[in-house]
Amino acid sequence: MLAKEIERAGIPTVFVTSLPTIARMIGANRIVRGPAITHPFGLEAAERRRIVERALEMLETHVEPTTVWEAAP
Amino acid sequence: MVRAVHYLNQFFAGLGGEEAAETPPTRLEGPVGPGRGLAAELEGIEITATLACGDDYFAEHEEAALARLLDLLQAEGAELLVCGPAFGSGRYGYACARLAATAPIAALTAMHEENPGVGAAGAALVVPTAVNVAGMRDALPRMARLAEAVAAGRELGHPEDEGYLPRGFRRNRHAEETGAERAVDLLLSKLAGETRTEVAAGFDRVPPPEPVPDLSEAVLALVTEAGCVPQGNPDRLPTIRAPGWLRYPLPDEAGLESGRYESVHGGFDVTLANEDPNRLMPLDVARTLEREGRIGGIHDAFYTTTGNGTPVAASTRFGQEIAAELRDAGVQAVLLSGT
Amino acid sequence: MTAWELATFSSDLLGDVPELEGVDVEIVRPGEPVRITHVLDAVEPRARPDGRPAFPTEARAGEGRTNRLDGVTVLSCLDFPAEERPLHEQESLVDMGGPGADLTPFSRTTNVVLRFRARPQASNEELEAWARRTTLDVAESVARPTLRTDPVEVERFELGPADESLPSVAALVQLSDLGPLYYQYVYGVRAAEAGLPRAIEPAELLDGAVTCGEYHWAALRNPTIFFQQNRLVRTLHDEHGKRLRFAGVVLMRGYEQTAGEKQQAAEQAAELAAGLAADGAIVTTDAGGNSHTDVMLTCRACERTGVRTTVIVAEMADPESTSPGLTDWVPEADSVVSVGNAEETVSAWRPERVVGGDLLLDGTPAAEAGPVPVRNYLGATNQMGQLALTATTW
Repeated sequence: MLAKEIERAGIPTVFVTSLPTIARMIGANRIVRGPAITHPFGLEAAERRRIVERALEMLETHVEPTTVWEAAP
Repeated sequence: MVRAVHYLNQFFAGLGGEEAAETPPTRLEGPVGPGRGLAAELEGIEITATLACGDDYFAEHEEAALARLLDLLQAEGAELLVCGPAFGSGRYGYACARLAATAPIAALTAMHEENPGVGAAGAALVVPTAVNVAGMRDALPRMARLAEAVAAGRELGHPEDEGYLPRGFRRNRHAEETGAERAVDLLLSKLAGETRTEVAAGFDRVPPPEPVPDLSEAVLALVTEAGCVPQGNPDRLPTIRAPGWLRYPLPDEAGLESGRYESVHGGFDVTLANEDPNRLMPLDVARTLEREGRIGGIHDAFYTTTGNGTPVAASTRFGQEIAAELRDAGVQAVLLSGT
Repeated sequence: MTAWELATFSSDLLGDVPELEGVDVEIVRPGEPVRITHVLDAVEPRARPDGRPAFPTEARAGEGRTNRLDGVTVLSCLDFPAEERPLHEQESLVDMGGPGADLTPFSRTTNVVLRFRARPQASNEELEAWARRTTLDVAESVARPTLRTDPVEVERFELGPADESLPSVAALVQLSDLGPLYYQYVYGVRAAEAGLPRAIEPAELLDGAVTCGEYHWAALRNPTIFFQQNRLVRTLHDEHGKRLRFAGVVLMRGYEQTAGEKQQAAEQAAELAAGLAADGAIVTTDAGGNSHTDVMLTCRACERTGVRTTVIVAEMADPESTSPGLTDWVPEADSVVSVGNAEETVSAWRPERVVGGDLLLDGTPAAEAGPVPVRNYLGATNQMGQLALTATTW
C-alpha cells in the first residue's frame, strides 16, 4: 500500500480510488472515491477536474485516520 | 443432503470477462464453471444454485449488491454458502469475503492469503489458495473438505491443521519453552536485526500527516498504481505482481497523450484508460491547475507500478523507496491514483 | 563480585509446621482431587545455614549460601472479611486436578496450605500483615531440617567477566504498589517507598529480597515463589558469557499514579538500564490494568534511550472476538512475549475437597464453580515469563 508508506515518510498523500473500503482497511488516510475501476477520475475532463480539486482540498485539510470523501460534496 | 449455494464472479460464472464486470447479481441453476469441479469433490452436499455478480458492480454498489445477493440466497433455502475461489483478484476476493461475512448461514470462501478480501471475511472461514487460477485443481478439494466439516457442524482444530487462514481468535497453548526463555531469544534476535513478536496490537496504522498549508506554494508529485507506462511498456512493467516500480520523466505537455502512454495493469479493462491516459493519471487537469496557480508546481517525474496482486511486503518496500526519493526531492504532497 | 550459593534439598526433609493459633494447616499432595481457594501467596521453603533470615529486611540477600526445599510450596489462604476495601480482591485458585491443574506449577508440588481464620476485630491490613509474616516464617521453619544434612545439588550464582562483544542484557522487573493489599515488598518495604527504580544484584531477587503482598489478578500477579525461582534471572545467568552479558536487574514500580509520574518513572528506569550499559532489556509486568501502561511507557523510554526491548505481558482478549487483547501498547513494543490470554476460560471441574474456603469471592460454591477464567488461577499467566503458557492466533 503505497499511500501508507509515503505518509509514513510524512508526505500528505491523497488516494483516488473506486475501492475506498479496501483503501481504508489497508490504512490509507486521505481517500477520495472515484466513480469506476476502469476510470477512477471519471471519463471527461470536467469530472476529472472536480475529482482532482476535491483531492487537492483534502491534502489541505486535517483529517481523522482513514477518511473517505466523495468526489462531489 | 445439505443444500449449498456457490458464489462466483462474472468471469468464472461464464458471463464474460472484464467487459461483463458490471453485471448485477444474478442466479444460475446448479453448479457452474468451477462449481462443477467443486460439486464433484463434495460428499453429502449439493450445490443447488450459483449466484454471480460482476466484480465492478459489487465494488461500486456494495450495499445494493449484498442486499440482492442475500435475497437470492434466502430464496434458495440453503444451509451453506461457498464463495470463490478468488485467488489473487482483489475485487473478487473482497466480494466473496463480504458476502461470506454477511450471509446468515454457514459460509466459507477461498482466496490467496494476501488478497485484501481476507481482512473483510469476518468470522467466515477463508481457505488459502494459490495466487492465480493455476491453483484451481488444488483449491477445490480443500474447499470441499472444509465445507463438509462446516456442514457437519464439526468443531474445527487449529487453522494449520484444518487448512483455513487464522481469523484472529487468540487461544492458549503450552509452548516448548518458558516465556522468559522466549523473551531472551526474541531480544537477542532483535539485537541481531530480526524483530519478531508473539502478539501485535492490531493493524499497523500511520497517522495522517499534517495537511499542506497551501498547495499554491507546494510541489505535488503524481504516483500511480494503475500501471501507467510509456506506450509499448519499454521497461516491461509486469501486469501483475510487479516486482518493482518505475520512474519516468513527467512530460512537459499539457496532458498524457493517447498512444504515447498506456496502462499495463492486468486487473481491469484498460480500454477506456488507453483511449485517454489522463483518466488514470490526471496530468491534464494537474497542468491546468498548475498554470492557474492552484498548485505551486508538479514534480518532474512520476512513479508507476501495478497494484495488482502485489504482496504486502513488496508494496511496503516499494512505497518506502518511492517515499525516500520524493522526500529527498522536496516533494510536499502526493496525488496517488489507484483503480 | 559476590557469589551466592543455592543448595537444593529433597522434599523428604519437609519439616513439621509449628502450631499456629488461628491457622488451619493442611498438606495437599499432587494428584489429590483438591481445589485450594483464596490463595494469597506461594512461597518456597528456604533456610540459611548462617542463621540469617531467609526473607531479610535488613542485611543484603544474595550472598553466602541459602538452602531450598525442592518440590514443596507453602500456600497461604485468607478471605478478607472487612466490608470496606478500596480495591476489591479477586479470586485466586490452585486446582490439584482437572483442567486447571496444568495452569500452575503448584499442582505438582507438595503444598503446605495455611488457612488463616479471620479474627473479628482485626482490619484487613492487620490480617494481611499477620498472614504474610506467618507464611514467610513457616516457609523458613519447614526448611530447617535442611540445615542438618547434605544437599542434593548446589548452584553457584556469580557473574564473572564475559566476552565484550556479546550483547548486554538487563532485566527490568516491575513491582506493584497501588495501596493496601496491593503491595510488593523489597526487603520488607513497599515498592513505592523502596527507592524504585533501583538496580539490585540478580541473586538478591532469587534470595528472598522481594516478597508479595499483592492479592489481585491471580494469574497476572507475581507471588513470592516466582521471584525465588525466577526463570528470567536464571536464564540470563545461564546465558552470561554464552549468548549475552547479563547487565543486571532493575526493579521498577508499576501503578505510578499520574501520567507525569508514569512517564518520569519510565524514563528513570530506562536511564538505569542505559547506565548498566545494556544493549537490550527485557521488561516484565506485574498484575493488570494500568500497570501495563507503565510497562509500555518503560519500553518506549528504553527504546528512545537506545536500549532495545522485549516486553513480557499477558493478553486480556475476549475469546469470542478477534479484537487484539493487549491492555495497552506503544509502537515501540514490536517484540512482545505473550504469556497467554487470561480471559480464556477453563471448563468446570468437581474437586472432591476444597481447602481455603468453601465459597468463592463471588458467592459460588467452590466445588461447583466453572467455567473458570484463567485469570483466577494463581500464577497462570505469569508476566515474568515463569511458565510456558502462550497464545496463538486461530
